Order: sequence, then structure tokens, then C-alpha cells
Amino acid sequence: MTGETFVIAEHCSRFGDVGSIYWVDTTIVPIMNKEGKPRQYIAIRADITDLKLAREEVHKLNDELEHRVAQRTAQLETANKELEAFSYSVSHDLRAPLRHISGFSRMLEEELGATLGPDARHHLDRIQSGIQKMGLLVDELLNLARVGRHVLRPQPTPLNSIVAEVITMLEPDSEVRHVTWLIADLPAVECDAVLVKQVFQNLLANALKFTRPRADVVIEVSCEEEDGQPVFMVRDNGVGFSMKYAGKLFGVFQRLHRSDEFEGTGIGLVTVQRIVRKHGGRVWVNAEVDKGAAFYFTLGMEKQAESKSNEATAGGQS
Amino acid sequence: MNSGELDILLVEDNQDDMDLALHALQREKLSNRIFVVRDGEEALDFLFCRGVYAHRAFDRPPKLVLLDLKLPKVDGLEVLKQLQGDPRTRNIPTVVMTSSKEERDMVSGYELGANSYIRKPVDIDQFRETVKNVGLYWLVVNQPPPISGVRELETAQS
Repeated sequence: MTGETFVIAEHCSRFGDVGSIYWVDTTIVPIMNKEGKPRQYIAIRADITDLKLAREEVHKLNDELEHRVAQRTAQLETANKELEAFSYSVSHDLRAPLRHISGFSRMLEEELGATLGPDARHHLDRIQSGIQKMGLLVDELLNLARVGRHVLRPQPTPLNSIVAEVITMLEPDSEVRHVTWLIADLPAVECDAVLVKQVFQNLLANALKFTRPRADVVIEVSCEEEDGQPVFMVRDNGVGFSMKYAGKLFGVFQRLHRSDEFEGTGIGLVTVQRIVRKHGGRVWVNAEVDKGAAFYFTLGMEKQAESKSNEATAGGQS
Repeated sequence: MNSGELDILLVEDNQDDMDLALHALQREKLSNRIFVVRDGEEALDFLFCRGVYAHRAFDRPPKLVLLDLKLPKVDGLEVLKQLQGDPRTRNIPTVVMTSSKEERDMVSGYELGANSYIRKPVDIDQFRETVKNVGLYWLVVNQPPPISGVRELETAQS
């Protein structure tokens, strides 16, 4: 008859006189006499030294790993903040000398007035246009830095009104041309209104820019559901581009057109991508040379505030 | 300078910016009665009639203060704060000149009650246009509060 078995887990033991420590699990089984008292014990010792050491090693590695991750994260955060502060102050401080070059070269032009020959005047004009370009570049870099620092404030946002505002804002650029805007019913989604407005602003301004050679411009904004998530599309019938270069499109300062064909800084789409990613979404593109471009994006936050039913689709209308 | 007849106090540390602003103001024939101080401390001495400006009187404030934000010693925000915090200076129209939208956001964030903002544009024509509009509004259109009004406010608050 045996009593209740008990286990002494993970305790140290020594090898005889040598004294080197090893680890054991000891299971003790009492053997009882007739009176129910332990008469003797059977001790079963299992050497778990290797297991124990391996386990300790795993713990140590885990701790180290966690520590290293925390350290790296902190380093990355610091580097990121420094980079943002740097790009901000560079852009910010670059504006001042630019302003001075612009101001004083204009004053020069006015002071010299009639004595300026056509060549000299032309060179002064080139200085001014260089200043304009750099000013735009600095502004857009500042804007990109601002988007990076912007804390997301998601709220239910009716996208149609945002698109309408952007179109009104862009109207002066499109006035002289015939632009057909095809704006579908868009849902209200949970997103940061300020940033998403910027997305539409950049995409629609691009659409206007790259349709400039077209007599009839068609710009389309629509939304389709894919895997339960709204996918937004901005499409134009402009000059498009080869998909060979699509990978370059979202890199800072990357441009697919010569600046004397289409002006630009190569920051607009980076800004779009940064905003979309901030929302946990993604952006992609489909284009073809001379056949226009279509930009797609999701806003990641799947929870839809309100889904407008599109009545026009009833009755199988195409 | 005649301390009683001042239109604009320009607070600007950068020589180039100062020259451009003065040039724009004079070109638009807005005013020749402009006084320039080069840092925030001097601006406060001037507006609070102390130190080298102790001879000035509170009842003859400039009609307009053009205030740069990035200033040595005491920055523009602090100047604005002190002007707003004192009934004797609270009513002086102050236009903040910023270099970026961020700076403007920062000022509005503090709710320091600047009367308006000029974002120093890179383009000189825009800058002239802005200076002209601001000057026209604050020097010509806007009626400054009556001096007696300022005094009453002062006694009411003390």
C-alpha cells in the first residue's frame, strides 16, 4: 500500500563528494505499514540538468530579445522624430533665404528698370521661376513632414462632401477646359477628414494635370466594395504612364514626366501613400501610356459609419 | 522719431526680412512712420515704455505691431502673451508674421489673440500684396480704440 505520491521539482543535488551541482525532479512514493503510517519511501530521481539549462537559455534569450526590441523601438522612434524635426526645420529655414533672393532680385529688376537688356531681364525671370519651384518644393516637403506628425483623428466622414470641396478648390485650374466629373455615391467612412481631403486633393489635382492635352477630360471618382472593404478609385483619361515605372511612383522626388511637360515636385503621391498607410490602408495604381491612370486606395478602418444604398443600381440598370 | 506719431512697430531680427518689409511698406506708401526693434526684449521695453523707452507714453501706442515669431532673447509668442496679459497693451493690433503654417497653428493653439497673420511668402509680389492689405486694414480702415476707453479698462481691472 502506498501513500500519496509527492514531487519535489527542480532542486539541486550534488554528485557525491565531487560537489558538482546537478538538477533533479524527485518523485517520492511513501510505502505505508498496516497502521497507515509510512514505512519506507521510494525516491525516483530524474536528472533534468540539461532540460533546466536549455530552459534557462530560452528564458535568457527571450529576455534579451525583448530588451533588444524595446531598445531598437526606442532608437527608431527617436530617429524618426529627429528626422521629422530635421526635415521640418530644414524646409522651414530654407524659405527665409529664398524669400530674400526673390525680394532683392525683384528690387534689382525695378531699380535697373529700362536699362535692362532683354537677356538680363530673361535671366532675372529665370531666377524668379527657380525661386517659385524651390518654394513649392519646400512647401510640399513641409506638408509631408506635417502629415507624418499629424495625430489621426478618425470620425465618420461623408466623402462626397470632401470630394465636392476639393473640386471647387481645383475649379480655377479646370475652368478653361471642358472637364466631366463623374462622382459616384461614396459612403461615409471612419477616417481623418483633414488628411483624406489631402488625398483627394492630390489625386484630383494630378488627374487634372495629366489630362491637360485632352480636349475632353473625364475624371471619375467611385467606390466598390472588395472583401467587405470599400475601395476608392480616382481615374482620368489623361496621358497615363507605363506600368514598368509604377514601382517608382510612390517614392519621394520620383517623377515619370519631364518637368517642362508636366510641372511637379514628386511629393504628392508620397503624401497620399503616407496618409493612406496611416489609416492602415493601401494605395495602388493601374495605368497605360496614353490611356489614363486609375488610382485605388483603401482606408483600412473597415467599420463603415453609414453605407448609402445606391438606388441607381436597382432594376438592373447599367 | 516722434514717439507720439508712430504707425507701425516692426519687430524683426533678420536684416533681410526687415529691409524687405520696410521696402514693401514704403513702396505701397502706407507709412513712413515705422520704428524697428530687433528682438523680443526690445519690443517689450518699447511697448511697455520702460528701459531706453521709458520716455514713451502708454496712451500713444503704435497703430500696428508687426511681430516676427522667431526672435532672439524673448520670442514672439512670449511678446504676444505679455501684450495680451496687460490691459494697457491688450488692444494694440498685432499682426504675427510667420514663416510657415505650423507657426500659425502654434499661435492659434495658444489662443493668444493675434489680430491676424502674415505668412511671409517666398514670392515678393505676394508679400507686397499682403503687407499692403494688412497695412490698409489696420492703418486706414480700422479705428483704434479710444484712448479713454483704454484708461477705463485699466481702472476697471486694477
